Amino acid sequence: MSLISNTAATGETISLAGVSKTYMTAKGPLPVLRDINLDIKAGEFVSFVGPSGCGKSTLLKIIAGLVSYDTGTVEVGGEAPREGREDIGFMLQQSVLMPWLNVSKNVELPFAISGRRNGNTPKRVAELLDLVGLTPVAKLNPWELSGGMQQRVALARALALDPGIMLMDEPFSALDEFKREFLNIEVAQMADKLGKTTLLVTHSISEAVLMSDHIIALGANPGRVVGEIKVDLERPRRTNMVGSARFQEISNEVRVALAADLEGVQ
Amino acid sequence: MTNTILYRAGLPTSVGITLIGLWQILSIVGAINPIMIPSPWDIAIAFSELVTRGYFWQATWFTLQETLYGFAIGVTLGLIIGALTGTFPMFRTAIYPFVIAFQNTPRVALAPIFLTWFGFGMTSKVVMAAVICFFPVVINTVAGMASVGDNAKMLFRSLGASRAQTFFRLTLPGASEIAFAGIKTALTLALLGAIVAEFVGGSVGLGVLIKELNFQLEVAKGFAVVLFLAVIGLTLYGLIELLERYLITWKHD
Ligand SMILES: Nc1ncnc2c1ncn2[C@@H]1O[C@H](COP(=O)(O)OP(=O)(O)O)[C@@H](O)[C@H]1O
Ligand SMILES: [Mg+2]
Repeated sequence: MSLISNTAATGETISLAGVSKTYMTAKGPLPVLRDINLDIKAGEFVSFVGPSGCGKSTLLKIIAGLVSYDTGTVEVGGEAPREGREDIGFMLQQSVLMPWLNVSKNVELPFAISGRRNGNTPKRVAELLDLVGLTPVAKLNPWELSGGMQQRVALARALALDPGIMLMDEPFSALDEFKREFLNIEVAQMADKLGKTTLLVTHSISEAVLMSDHIIALGANPGRVVGEIKVDLERPRRTNMVGSARFQEISNEVRVALAADLEGVQ
Repeated sequence: MTNTILYRAGLPTSVGITLIGLWQILSIVGAINPIMIPSPWDIAIAFSELVTRGYFWQATWFTLQETLYGFAIGVTLGLIIGALTGTFPMFRTAIYPFVIAFQNTPRVALAPIFLTWFGFGMTSKVVMAAVICFFPVVINTVAGMASVGDNAKMLFRSLGASRAQTFFRLTLPGASEIAFAGIKTALTLALLGAIVAEFVGGSVGLGVLIKELNFQLEVAKGFAVVLFLAVIGLTLYGLIELLERYLITWKHD
């Protein structure tokens, strides 16, 4: 398999200390994150699980510099967050492809916007398409692809500038379960091989266990960390690990952490 | 079967031929008063006479110019005002209520006023055509820009796109499909505006010609000009659809 060859950025560290965030809404202030402390090592794969509305997306946006925070400090690769950093690849739940660009032009977009398009770009784009298995559809238009393939384009685009950090906000939740599992394994293996620091927001506990080094369980109202679970399954991960006793144990730890918080609320 | 070209072109063609045939027969047997509604044959004869006359082609050229100048001015201004409205919230708050208010007044009522301002020549018709086709362009441009999703905007921010990059690579193509629908409407309206303005007062043009032919009780020729206008309208629409297909290649359904 031809992997990203040239500069192959290694992962970067991410740390948050005492971070809080309150949105000002029409109905008044809405606290979404309270006193978040995280230390993510270079190359780690960390998943965030928690009820919807607990601030998972907000957390990723803060790290990407797309949303401000009120208190605490955030360091991403040793720097304060800032939008438009080339060392961060962001992938959303929707593929957000430009319908006026074909598959390979969509993947080329980050090169065009960052002004880094050069003679080498077509080769890089071809490599990326190969990496996500889209070489045969490179010249097709986005609407000619299935949902899963569209997300692969989005993945290739997020990987385009070879970022040290990948932020993935429920990237496959719009897909059916079979496709999702398949893509998950691929992404996990890719992250492992490329050594990128990867943050994944997911609804699925087994998805989180299967892919991560660490799982952060978040509680709601306002969002805060209610559990940190280490996943000591060996790599590379395989789908059949789901049946193992250790996998079940870890999944239960996550479930207990989330449930304890819910009961505490009631 | 229902998708063959023969079916989709053949069926309306046979309906048309049948209706015209029926019309001709009713005229021959005297069921239709030829002073009110001339027979298809008489209209065809009248048209074949008209096309040999210089004044007919002069009128056609005049009306076409009024329509296209008015269209060009109205669309250009509409796109500029629409883009400003869609980009700057303050501009929107200040201007948009007036656009909506004007949109809902019958703009052809302005034709007599334009006649007093700009005279019997071409200008008053161009202005009428421009004013009437300005509004759908503004409104569709604003709607098109609003249709660009928050996720796409966030993606561009995360890629570090400048305002200009976001405008040219996201907002402009993202808005163009809906904006172009407004431009298509505008072309039809421009022809309407030019003709109405010619009715109100003018010396040359197809609208003027229709009025004069009616006064002279040349009803068949009047009908011929109306049908000719329909052909002009369809041709212009066909051309703008071609342009749309060329510019907006990703519109697929
Ligand atoms: N830009 C915003 N302005 C105001 N409220 C917001 C904004 N973005 C998100 N929220 C609210 O903040 C809360 C957390 O949102 P989010 O971070 O998207 O949670 P999650 O991704 O865990 O579902 C939700 O109640 C949401 O409605
Ligand atoms: Mg979310």
